[in-house]
Amino acid sequence: MRGITRRTFLFLCLVLWAAFFSIPALAAQTEFRFPRPEFSSGYQHKAIHLPPAALTPPWLDVSLLILFLGATTWAVLRRRSRNWVLVLSLASLVYFGFYRQGCVCSVGSVQNVLNAFIGTGEVLTLTVALFFLIPLVTALYFGRVFCASVCPLGAAQEFCAVRPVQVPHAVDTALGMLAYAYLGITVLGIWTGCGFLICRYDPFVGFFRQGGSFNMLLAGGILLASGIFIARPYCRYLCPYGVLLRWASIFARRHASITPAECIQCRLCENACPYNAIIPPAPEQEPEPRSVGMRRLAWLLAAAPVLILVSATIGWTVHPLLSRLHPTVRLAERIAAEEAGTVAGTTIETDAFREGDQTVPSLYAEAHTINRRFKPAGAALGAFLGLALCARLYRLSVLRHEHDYTADKGACLSCARCFKYCPVEENNGQA
Amino acid sequence: MARRKRNPFKTNAYIVRAASAIAVVSGPLCLLISTLLILNYWQVSTLDPLNLPELIQMREQLAASPESAEATIETIRAMDLLARATFFTSQRMLRTGGLIALIAALVFLAALRLALHYTARPPEPAAVGPAPRYWLERGRARELVVFMGGLWLLAALVAAVFTRLDIPIPATEEAAVAVQETGTAPAALVTPDWDTVQRQWPNFRGPGGLGKAYYTTAPVQWDVATGESILWKTEVPVQGFNSPVVWEDRVYLSGADKETREVFCFNAATGELLWRTQVGPPAGVPVELPKVNEDTGYAAPSVAAQGDVVCALFGTGHLACLNKDGVLRWEKFLGVPDNHYGHGSSLIIFERLLLVQYDQRKNGALYAFDLDTGAEAWKQERKHISWASPVLAGTPDSMMLALVSTKNLDVYDPRAGTPLWSVECLSGEVGPSPGYGAGMFFTANDYADGSAIRPPKEASGEPEIVWQFYDSLPDISSPLATDTFFYLLTSRGEIICLRPENGEVAWVHEHENAFFASAILVGDRIYAVDKEGTVLIIKNSDTYEELAALSLGEGAVATPAFLDKRIYARTMNTLVCIGET
Repeated sequence: MRGITRRTFLFLCLVLWAAFFSIPALAAQTEFRFPRPEFSSGYQHKAIHLPPAALTPPWLDVSLLILFLGATTWAVLRRRSRNWVLVLSLASLVYFGFYRQGCVCSVGSVQNVLNAFIGTGEVLTLTVALFFLIPLVTALYFGRVFCASVCPLGAAQEFCAVRPVQVPHAVDTALGMLAYAYLGITVLGIWTGCGFLICRYDPFVGFFRQGGSFNMLLAGGILLASGIFIARPYCRYLCPYGVLLRWASIFARRHASITPAECIQCRLCENACPYNAIIPPAPEQEPEPRSVGMRRLAWLLAAAPVLILVSATIGWTVHPLLSRLHPTVRLAERIAAEEAGTVAGTTIETDAFREGDQTVPSLYAEAHTINRRFKPAGAALGAFLGLALCARLYRLSVLRHEHDYTADKGACLSCARCFKYCPVEENNGQA
Repeated sequence: MARRKRNPFKTNAYIVRAASAIAVVSGPLCLLISTLLILNYWQVSTLDPLNLPELIQMREQLAASPESAEATIETIRAMDLLARATFFTSQRMLRTGGLIALIAALVFLAALRLALHYTARPPEPAAVGPAPRYWLERGRARELVVFMGGLWLLAALVAAVFTRLDIPIPATEEAAVAVQETGTAPAALVTPDWDTVQRQWPNFRGPGGLGKAYYTTAPVQWDVATGESILWKTEVPVQGFNSPVVWEDRVYLSGADKETREVFCFNAATGELLWRTQVGPPAGVPVELPKVNEDTGYAAPSVAAQGDVVCALFGTGHLACLNKDGVLRWEKFLGVPDNHYGHGSSLIIFERLLLVQYDQRKNGALYAFDLDTGAEAWKQERKHISWASPVLAGTPDSMMLALVSTKNLDVYDPRAGTPLWSVECLSGEVGPSPGYGAGMFFTANDYADGSAIRPPKEASGEPEIVWQFYDSLPDISSPLATDTFFYLLTSRGEIICLRPENGEVAWVHEHENAFFASAILVGDRIYAVDKEGTVLIIKNSDTYEELAALSLGEGAVATPAFLDKRIYARTMNTLVCIGET
């Protein structure tokens, strides 16, 4: 590049970047997105003072996300430093957690993206789209560095994991399926108009905001307390975004490795990972004749379509239960119970409904219409879970021949815990 | 160059001791505060500070003996203040306690982490490597995944069997569910053919809304004062400016005020009120009321009936479809109309579709709802406001749905909602609906013009404005277009007869009273009701020939319904049936 230095070029890029994001951000601060309603009673709106966090320009969030991701990638892949990962986790927890109060967040952005395509079709803002995409793209190249120290939910749990124990591999694998169920239910929730379930049931946001529903605070407290021994339970067994990151991370070109050079099979890292993300070398001797394994795999592949179909059918039939996720169905059921006298008293929701213009029969009709929407949605959920189960069984049924202790690219959170257990020096491969 | 690897497993007894001490203090402190917080939360959540038993008792006491009012009021105030103060103190305690618990938890975790960091032991691999466990663990994982999958399926099956929605199924919904689940249609609505429709009076201005009666036998002589040819006369319970609609043995009307919106059904033979059904929220429940002109009110749109159903729309935006026995089939709220005189467009039904012209200042729309289920069949955005009603012209195979607005005559395909053509021919605030006769639409509005518009002969063709008339024009009464003459009835009391071929005035009659109701062609006679309730019966010819001028007994603005030897007329307070016994 003649006539312009590299530093100037970078500076110009930064200025353009900031300008690109700050213009819509400034515009957003000067006017309301929708005009506020006028009241015939003459009610005047009170002045609204936004808390400081809400005034943070979106470009700052995106820039910090990129900065943290870059720094974590450097800390994990180049510096191989757990301390740096912890420092970045703390910074992320403070900024994205306590300062930004858990919003905007990549985990929740899944819902915005889904909502734009299969939900109400609300416009997907550039910031949210970037929060969804950037960690996934990073995972495609460098693994789950986002989980390592950029996600505030993960960071909160990471600091709690002071005495982690290894959950048995089989239990860990089975519990990991819950995240697929949560992801499936999230998609179903958006598709059927139930709202943003991940945000509604975010167990940690109450701590970030120092307030929230008692049940969610309690759930968060239990998760964090159990996280002292079972490291990152939410990340491993529930996080729906983690499922997507797991898929992307499998293809990571430069994933964190336990050893900086050649593995010397010293077995020191064997118990280093509380996430069961270290794959030991496969024994030379196979446990059973190859034909037995082949037959099992063939059975699995043959049974997979049937299992998916059965799962989809059951998903279809369970739609009344699933439809209770929808607030209108819950309201209609509550109103029906109140009308029938099977429950005592009223709730805020039923009181509000009765003050409105909608009639009870039309509410019932609306609830039944919504309920019908859950039939195909339930079937799709069932099929997805059936497919996830089959895929997991397939992975567990295929012989793998790792020769060294290697990181499981999908499960590894790039937390850098295992590095200190490896005695191999960088560059020269000496122990 | 190789970097020196520092010992990552350091120990430091002093730090461990200090950190342990901090952890021992902060951990239990966090636990204690959390427990207290939970207890406090339960206590606060059960409190209802403004409805404490003591306060309720005091309030009842005040209501029972108002003479001791001052002292009781003071006590209530003091107790109320105390209750509120206690509540907010608890809230503050919760917040402060939460913050302290959070800080204690952070200190505990930091201390614990520090203590464990400095007591870390270097890894000691087990004597036996992972090899023997490797296959075993994979096998167990497989089994456990299968077990978990099985558990899910079982739980879902149990839930499917034992879970049902405890929500009553509305009548229409029940029918829809039956169709879906059994594959057999329940007693569905029968769609009558167009010939059957024409023998009824299914909507405002009769079949198609064109102001032409199928039967030519309407009475030409009656006397309300003596009761001559008056079959019955019934008081209408709630006021409304809509016109009567008749399907077989039932006459339908609607009425509304600020508190209520009702549909009424009368026995066509006896005038007995068979039923009245409330639409929208129950009577007395406040709804958002639009601004309406007193000449419009909240029930200006006429209902539409077909076979076993009748549909009604009110100025509040509440739309309902009822069975002929008054049971609600479905209802919708279209939103409070943004309409400065009040909504006036009447409903019309074509085959299985209820067509609703919902023109507003903003976000106006033409809707088609499935008569059976209320589902929206199609919707067309409408750009301009109007107070006129939709009409259907043509044959059933090539039916045209025509609407007027402040600017245009817009014609749609009623089955699909596709706009067919549009012509700019109007201005101002349009109330009169279009007419159709001699192969032309006839639109008119006061201070604008009357236009005869020939539809395009082919789908790709353009409509033609054949002629326009700029003299005296109506602002409420809709023009009547017969195959031989076009008629305009004005609010100044004029009746203007025009020749359809060139728009020339055949004759003008100046009547003493204004016309709000629309003229109807019955055979070779025109029936025109003035605002005082006088019905002029005139010959449909090139000279003014008044056959009779008969009174309805009181003022009228609604257009009567004409059936076989019967006229059903709505006056300001009553419904009158004129005819032969």
